[in-house]
Order: sequence, then C-alpha cells, then structure tokens
Amino acid sequence: MLWKDKYELGVPLIDTQHRELFQRVDAFLQTLRESSSWEEKVQRVNETLEFMNGYVVEHFHDEEIYQKKIGYPGYEAHRKIHAEMVRYVLQVTAEYKQKGFDQQLMQQFAGKLLAWLINHVAAEDQRIAAYAIERGAEADD
Amino acid sequence: MQLSGGRKQMTDNLYTPFLEATRNVFQLMLDLSDVAESPAEAFKCDDEVDVSIGVTGDLVGEVIYRFPRETSLNMVKIMSGMEIESVDDFVTSAISEIANIISGNVLTMLAGEDMKCDILPPVLKKSDDSREYAIRTACCISTSAGNVCLDIRLNHAK
Repeated sequence: MLWKDKYELGVPLIDTQHRELFQRVDAFLQTLRESSSWEEKVQRVNETLEFMNGYVVEHFHDEEIYQKKIGYPGYEAHRKIHAEMVRYVLQVTAEYKQKGFDQQLMQQFAGKLLAWLINHVAAEDQRIAAYAIERGAEADD
Repeated sequence: MQLSGGRKQMTDNLYTPFLEATRNVFQLMLDLSDVAESPAEAFKCDDEVDVSIGVTGDLVGEVIYRFPRETSLNMVKIMSGMEIESVDDFVTSAISEIANIISGNVLTMLAGEDMKCDILPPVLKKSDDSREYAIRTACCISTSAGNVCLDIRLNHAK
C-alpha cells in the first residue's frame, strides 16, 4: 500500500484523486513486479498504463484549477512541474509502444514514477495545503 | 571570479546544503528521521549503485550518489511496500530519481544565495578520478535503511 495519511491535504477533491492515483500506481507496480512471465502480464500492464496516463492528466488539471481558485502563488512553477511529468509520461508511452512493449523501459518508468509521485505529493503538494490553511486563517482574522 | 559573502560561504561548505537536502528528502519520502552524518573514511562498499548528477551553470561538475546495494533495496522497499530482492532497472531508476530530487533541492538552496545552477538527468556510472576539481568533498550519512555517500566534485564556472 503506497498511500499514507500524512499525504492528505485537507481538500476532499484532491485527496480523493491522490488516493485513486496511488491505488492505480500501486496496482501498476504489483502487476509489473509479479513473478509471472512478461508475456503473461504485458496485456494487464498496458491496460493499467493506459488508464493511468489519462488519470494523471485529469488529476493535474483539477489540481491546477484548485490552485488558481485559491490564488496559490506557486501556481506557475507547479504547472510547469506537471507539464514536464506529462511530457515524460507521453514520451515513455510512445517509446514503449514503438519498441513493441519493452519490459526494461517499463521497469525504469515505474521506478521513476514511484519516487516522483511520493516526492510530489509529500513535498510539492503539501505547500498548496500550507498556503490554503494560511489563507483560511487570514480570512478568519 | 569574486564571490559575495553568502555565495563564498555556501561554496566553501557545499557539504551543508547536500546534507540538509538529503535529510529532508529522506524524512519526507522514506520517513527516515534517524539521518546522521558519518565520516567519509568509514564508508566502504564494493557492491553499490553509483548515480551521477551532472551540474552546469555557476558551478560545473558532478555529484555522485553512492548507494550500497542493501541501502538501495531498503529504500525501494520503504517506498513501494514490496519485497525487492535484487537491484534491477526498477530499483536503479527509483534510486536515480531520489538523487535527482535531492540535487534539485540543493539547487533551490543555492539559488537563495544567488548561485544559478542546473542539473542533468541522472546517469548510472562509476566515478572518473582523472579530473581535478576545486571543490571536492564527500557527504556521508547513515540511516536505519543503510548508508549513503555523496561525492561532490565541482568547479566554479569560468
């Protein structure tokens, strides 16, 4: 289980999506790392990858809307981080298909995705929550 | 090149931002709160994953992150929650991304002292001892997940 409660931002829509994203990445890793042969699991790996690609874009979009709504000052920098990750995901997916579903490439992708996602949600996204709380406190004053 | 006080202090002691960034990243990503400095001489390992992060800008060179095999496996186990038995492409890629994240955090600290640097994508490679560097220091740490050593090899841009 990848998800930890400390990742929660206190924003229901974003937290729900983060949980879903972690569950999807978890399922992707479990399938990718199971001991069966590549031929046996490649179809399931491809299906999970396809869904995840769509979900990542949708989640980033919703999170950016939220940042704009609260006037998050780090919006532009955060949007760039999202855009770079989407570019990387699309580039790897295209290369993966072009190479005929290369297992090595997918293992490398999964390793980076795991570390990137944990850092992004545990560090970058927490700054949004900190700002939202600060802004809420100011509004209460 | 004449450096301002803050910049000079920062480059004279690059050890500190690397140690601080490693500590922060390990705490946030791996829940490791027992990150302690350890003497570079004590770091001995024959079976390790070496990740090089190239540096460009006001400082030029590389930082080599030396992760012993056991440390690499433990770190990926903590992140994934899965039992991992061998250092394969999945493990080296995850470890490389951690090196990338630590280096990115150091760049942010350097930018605070008006030092503009950028990093190159991580590369798996053994250290090349043939080049000379004005800044050469090692930042070694010990944690309950194992030891890690950062070999910092940088020159000031001309």
